[in-house]
Amino acid sequence: MKATLIVINKMQADGVIGHYAIGGAVGATFYLEPVATLDIDIFISFQTTGSLISLSPIYDYLTALGFQTEKEYIKIGGWPVQFLPAGNALLEEALEQAVETSVDEVRTRVMTAEHLVAIALQTGRAKDFSRILQFIESGLLISGKLDSILSRHGLLAKWEQFGNKFLKGD
Amino acid sequence: MSEWMRKILESKRAMRQHLAALPFAEKLQILERLRDRQQAILDSPLGRKSRRG
Repeated sequence: MKATLIVINKMQADGVIGHYAIGGAVGATFYLEPVATLDIDIFISFQTTGSLISLSPIYDYLTALGFQTEKEYIKIGGWPVQFLPAGNALLEEALEQAVETSVDEVRTRVMTAEHLVAIALQTGRAKDFSRILQFIESGLLISGKLDSILSRHGLLAKWEQFGNKFLKGD
Repeated sequence: MSEWMRKILESKRAMRQHLAALPFAEKLQILERLRDRQQAILDSPLGRKSRRG
């Protein structure tokens, strides 16, 4: 992972990407016990060309350095990496408020636990719900902070549905 | 819930807490091992069969 982060930091230093933050299962691992995943989700702030969002500069930069693409992933340091533009207000906020950390002295940024939960709720797949339950069980979430994120991004009704479905009787 | 089951759940919770408290770098090393194992399963005949449904 260290090798992966070094390359991503170099991309940032070279201006290929702006701010970035780790999200998804790898981001959740910052807070929780590790759960198997095959890839890393890297959320990036993005320069748009006209109205189109293009990941071409990222692919061009990395393939020129000899990295291989695999479907929507680019394999860096043994990890399939998916670069995801922060394409809505919640993702933009999560990217902006991500926390600084380091892995073997390589600096990086990870989304906050509350943003990871809100994004998982918004995404809404079974594995996302399972991750939310892990966060709840961990007792790490700051409820006021989470409520405020859910409210700002119109997710309170969805949160209530989630609670009715998965937390009733707890 | 039986005493036996309660002990299992307690032990499981303690293990999860222990893993969650590890340094991020150490947890990422575990993730790498899990990823390799998951990939090996997916590449095996059994994994290919289950993906075909």
